[in-house]
Amino acid sequence: MLRFIILMELVLTFVLFLATSVVGAETLSKTDAEALFVLKVKPLLNSRCVVCHGKDGKIKGGLDLQTRDTMLKGGDSDLKSLVPGKPEESLIYIAATWANSDYEMPPKENDRLNEEDLTYLKQWIAAGAPWSEKSDSDFEGHNKWGAKEGLQVVTSGGLADDWTNRRYKQENLWAYQPVKRPVVPGGAGQHPVDAFIEMGLKTKGISPAKLADRRTLIRRATFDLIGLPPTPADVKAFLEDASDDLTAFSKVVDRLLASPHYGEQWGRHWLDVVRYADSSGFANDYERPHTWRYRDYVIRSFNKDKPYDQFIKEQIAGDEIDESDPEMLVATGFLRMGAWELTGMEVAKVARQRFLDDVTDSVGRVFLGHPLQCAKCHDHKFDPIPTRDYYRIQSVFKTTQFANRPAPFFEGENTNGFDEKRHLERRRMDHDDYLKDFAKMKEDAAREWYKERGLEYAPRNKLIAKGVPEDQIVPKGYGVDTLEFGLERIARKGLGRLEWEFDRYEPFAFSVYSGVTPERESVYSPIRMPKSRMKGGEFEKGAILSGGDPFSPTVAVKPGVLSMIPGSNDTIEKTSFNSIPETVDGRRLAFANWVASRENTLTTRSIVNRIWQYHFGQGIAGNPNNFGGMGKKPTHPELLDWLADEFVNKGWSIKSMHRLLMTSETYRRSSHHPHFGEVAVKDPEGVSYSVFKPRRMAAEELRDSMIAVTGELNPELGGIPSRPEINIEVALQPRQVMGTFASAWQPSPEPEHRHRRSIYTLKIRGLRDPFMEVFNQPSPEQSCEMRDASNVTPQVFSLLNGKVAYERSVALAIRLSNDTKGIHASIRRGYELVLNRPASEEEVEIAFNHWKEMKKSHSKLKIEPPVYPSKVVRDAVEENTGEPFRFEEKLHMYAEIDPDKSMADVDIDTRALADLCLVLFNSNEFAYIY
Amino acid sequence: MKTPHRFPCAGPRAGWNPNRRDFIYSLGASLGSVALTGMLANEASASSVNPMAPRPGHFPSKAKRCIFLMMEGGPSHIDTFDPKPKLKELHLKEFNRSGEQQSAMASGKRYFVESPFEFKKYGQGGADMATNWQHLSTVADHLCFYRGCQVESVNHPTAMYHMNTGNQFGGDPAIGSWVTYGLGSENQNLPGFVVLPEVSYPQGGAANWGKGYLPADFQGTPLRSSGSPILDLQPPKGITPEHQRKNLDLLARLNQKHAESHPGHQDLAARMANYELAFRMQMQVPDIIDIGKEDQRTREMYGVDGGDTDRFGRKCLLARRLIEKGVRFVQLYAGSWDSHDYIGRAHGNLVRQVDKPIAGLIQDLANRGLLDETLIVWCGEFGRSPDNGVRGGVAYGRDHNPKAMPMWIAGGGVNAGHTIGATDETGAEAVDVVHPLKNLHVTLLRLLGLDDNKLTYFHGGRFKQLSQVGGEVIPQLFG
Repeated sequence: MLRFIILMELVLTFVLFLATSVVGAETLSKTDAEALFVLKVKPLLNSRCVVCHGKDGKIKGGLDLQTRDTMLKGGDSDLKSLVPGKPEESLIYIAATWANSDYEMPPKENDRLNEEDLTYLKQWIAAGAPWSEKSDSDFEGHNKWGAKEGLQVVTSGGLADDWTNRRYKQENLWAYQPVKRPVVPGGAGQHPVDAFIEMGLKTKGISPAKLADRRTLIRRATFDLIGLPPTPADVKAFLEDASDDLTAFSKVVDRLLASPHYGEQWGRHWLDVVRYADSSGFANDYERPHTWRYRDYVIRSFNKDKPYDQFIKEQIAGDEIDESDPEMLVATGFLRMGAWELTGMEVAKVARQRFLDDVTDSVGRVFLGHPLQCAKCHDHKFDPIPTRDYYRIQSVFKTTQFANRPAPFFEGENTNGFDEKRHLERRRMDHDDYLKDFAKMKEDAAREWYKERGLEYAPRNKLIAKGVPEDQIVPKGYGVDTLEFGLERIARKGLGRLEWEFDRYEPFAFSVYSGVTPERESVYSPIRMPKSRMKGGEFEKGAILSGGDPFSPTVAVKPGVLSMIPGSNDTIEKTSFNSIPETVDGRRLAFANWVASRENTLTTRSIVNRIWQYHFGQGIAGNPNNFGGMGKKPTHPELLDWLADEFVNKGWSIKSMHRLLMTSETYRRSSHHPHFGEVAVKDPEGVSYSVFKPRRMAAEELRDSMIAVTGELNPELGGIPSRPEINIEVALQPRQVMGTFASAWQPSPEPEHRHRRSIYTLKIRGLRDPFMEVFNQPSPEQSCEMRDASNVTPQVFSLLNGKVAYERSVALAIRLSNDTKGIHASIRRGYELVLNRPASEEEVEIAFNHWKEMKKSHSKLKIEPPVYPSKVVRDAVEENTGEPFRFEEKLHMYAEIDPDKSMADVDIDTRALADLCLVLFNSNEFAYIY
Repeated sequence: MKTPHRFPCAGPRAGWNPNRRDFIYSLGASLGSVALTGMLANEASASSVNPMAPRPGHFPSKAKRCIFLMMEGGPSHIDTFDPKPKLKELHLKEFNRSGEQQSAMASGKRYFVESPFEFKKYGQGGADMATNWQHLSTVADHLCFYRGCQVESVNHPTAMYHMNTGNQFGGDPAIGSWVTYGLGSENQNLPGFVVLPEVSYPQGGAANWGKGYLPADFQGTPLRSSGSPILDLQPPKGITPEHQRKNLDLLARLNQKHAESHPGHQDLAARMANYELAFRMQMQVPDIIDIGKEDQRTREMYGVDGGDTDRFGRKCLLARRLIEKGVRFVQLYAGSWDSHDYIGRAHGNLVRQVDKPIAGLIQDLANRGLLDETLIVWCGEFGRSPDNGVRGGVAYGRDHNPKAMPMWIAGGGVNAGHTIGATDETGAEAVDVVHPLKNLHVTLLRLLGLDDNKLTYFHGGRFKQLSQVGGEVIPQLFG
């Protein structure tokens, strides 16, 4: 049971009271003024001021705010710090208001006093600034302002009593209250979602827009559910469906939910939240050879409509559920999604801690809609999360260990295309050959060196091991010049990197097991299962780490859950819901069960809020990753609760939730309101849902739509990562990784492997596709709760000038010419494919005239075919010598490329048509979904 | 409000969260916002607030802009600006490292190693410099050396992220993004924050100049030294501007018609304006960055002569052109200084490559009266150790050291001609005027007139800042 101790009901009443009482503040009784100091002002001074003014001997500006005397004495300033009875003359008050730019205290935006705090301070000074050593409890219950407003929350306990006993505004605790299913307002037969939304509209006095037409609606629904445009046949079928609008639309929704592309679109949302990437980030940015199987697991789970509670459990504890099931091992890849590596340059324990912190915070953000990292170094500043809970949750993962575990490929996985391995084999041969030559050359030079000194030749390490004096050992790298140094390193390190890439085709899962933490100095190749899970390492104990430092453990803690969630506080009562075993195994499963329970007040709200957001462009609670006091409050809290409850009642089914939301009028509304100006005034935040919010396509939708309408899209599901063409300068941009250069980005030679959905694109942390990046694909460093849709010029360069965009235009022009007879028909078909509507006669005429003009222009242009390199010459600075050197990287895949058609490959008629296609791809009508 | 970009705010509990709308549909990223106020001022109607408009900082300051010389890889203080005669005595004597925080790099048998470089005192301030800084030593009195900075990471990418963004794990805004966010940019035809990377990107990649959670306008734009200076700045070869203009005219016509049927959808106008802007940039940017326009004497001053100094000399010269044009923050990369082996040879070569260009830059800025308005920062991501594993004779180098590092600042407002702080007798650790990196960040912002505590952005539930949690200025670095 969550025990809120309610001492005063309404914060609001309290604030009103203050507003009227300030004027007569000096009439405060002595006791009241003292209470004000003890309950309000002292805590403010302690939390915001004395850190710099008094605590631990730190006295900035000569001002010590720890006692009344020192406060009266003041600091270096000419102004008096405290003038009892006169707040407007007291510097501590003046500074706290930030009204005078010479004195703004506390200096950090995060610590600024709010209006209420300022009022307390002002009132206290006005009342003569009495000081008191009494404690809170001395004033319990009898003070004139009801002692304390707000609610206390019982937790596992903060580091200090102040924190443990502090109070929260009720509005900031909404997410920790049990989900209560409200009665649906409105009349019978009304869609529940609409009923809740209508209440808000009425309050705001807004009438909603009319429903969108079928053409708009099918485009909206198709993009929302599968991330691709509807085909002309889809549109036709829907337009011609004789059933009523809602029935006809429901059929569309069902068809889309049954499409295998549904999982690709919704899996993409999930991968944004979990920060999916195919590489490890940081110094080496090694490829993560098996994460693609996790990506496909996510897609499959959405397609199967796997109950969300099960989806949670598998990702947190699949291995503990059934380690003989390869899919369960694959699912736990979630736990390792953050960037991680252990190089020899790094302290192993620090790297381990990085994982522990990462996983602790990310289970919070991803499943609970609550970041936990703020409680890593101290009790949470705003939310009832003691640092103890942070480390209790961290303890759940203290026995979690990395391994790429054997996991046979299984039915439903795509194992096509493994023969691409041949390209890697050629690279391996190049490296092997060089290293052989290098070794020979180096040995020859060394033999010469020993001979000159009349010494016996022996390998360096043998001599070092024997303890031969330094001056009798050939210097490291003797006889090797910059170029050779550089090439040797590239070959040696290149082989090391290849090992990761080769692993991509092997039946392993990017996974974990439970056991002791193995002793490890560095990780330079994929981690395998140890011989023994319990030997050769440390059984890590849970502890609160001072300052988050793994070398500074303080209080021991046991594995646990977030104690402020109702029923979760095992320090009050241990139940099967809230207890985590201390055994090596089973911690994560117990934790997952707690997360994936309808009793957990965060989990169900979090997921329905996310689903809502991806349909409507904003969450009901505006920060899906932060339901805490600092996150945006829900605009429709009852609707959120109703949805959360309904979601569980429908078996945690995400597809049912789509059906529910999409059949509402709220979803089917037009994005155009006849009185948009009035709506903007009455609903400036845009949270009334009186109109549907248009959105720009996401980066992936933009690319996928283009290859879909050109007919190039290979609709295959899943499989090893695909490599489309990206801007060649970025592809060949030399990229430093530890001690060497990562190899170039090379597109798959075969068009069908390049033209896959964007979710399958190899996602390297250190090398992003600039097209995706400029269109706001989030970086995989941090969990992305919602994408931006900025409007910036580099987008124009990519979409208007880029090779990829040009070639899509050519591909579409070829398709249009092939599919239709005559330019007018091509234009009409182009409009239907790209904009999902027929062109008006006027538009056809305009397009036709443009085509004629562009033909004329093309007759004067000389367009050269693009060049595909078979090697790249790179300039770099060699690390051993600091000298520049040049090396050549062979590009086996580029050399074999079966290129897409370019402008140079087609006749002038098609080129001119491609120009028109380019314009359509760049048009606002294509980019926005209404 | 002192700065137009700061937001009305009642403190942390206000929960104000800037969104796209507050930036007028966020025109322009990097090169972006550009002309909206400049070139397109007369025709653009959509723009009311330009996020890149220049604005005053929180304090008056001499330095208005910054050139940040990032020596990636971790240059050695012991072999550049912090002589350690003690190491001559200790040379090849065994070194024992203690403590539990040991990485594999520091394991095995280790020796102290002396610096292969000679040192002298230069300038009126008597700055210690290795004698191979032949050119930089001539401007020594413009520099303020600082020996007290300490960082937290010994790994390149994390240390690079820390130096560049204040956060070891990447993903936060780079210092150049913060400065541009704080001060805007003087030139609306160029990005406010330009990066001139090495041919190969540093460890950690482009996230070293990322905008993090700040709006897209504040992204660092790498200008490429070969090929297209900005990706896809030009259409494919053979497509003429006239040809492209025709496509753009059709696009404008279609978009106009579309906008008429979607009144109230405000993003449309911004996106249309961007296409026009891009077209103009395509015409102008190549000219702005063409250093061929500089006279022979100037090119010579920077060592732009086809030799060893040419590469970095070009960058320094371009940096000057950019700041002259009003770019707020230019970051230059040189490296890698990661000399685990043969430090004499490796550092010797690196110093030769950057010495003349940097001295040329400082002298040229001083001649043009720009040095006082410009803050120049020279540093790496950490320093190097006084010891090394077994290498054999002259092959020795140095490993990573987060506890001491070389650094100098120059230009507006700095304590030029002084050396601040000190390291211990072997250079293992800073011992005087020691400050964590966040204090350096606070100091650099302050030199540019910005208050780290006020230069904040509300994201993820709190006001974030470059120093992460706040810090203090290092008073000795101010002139």
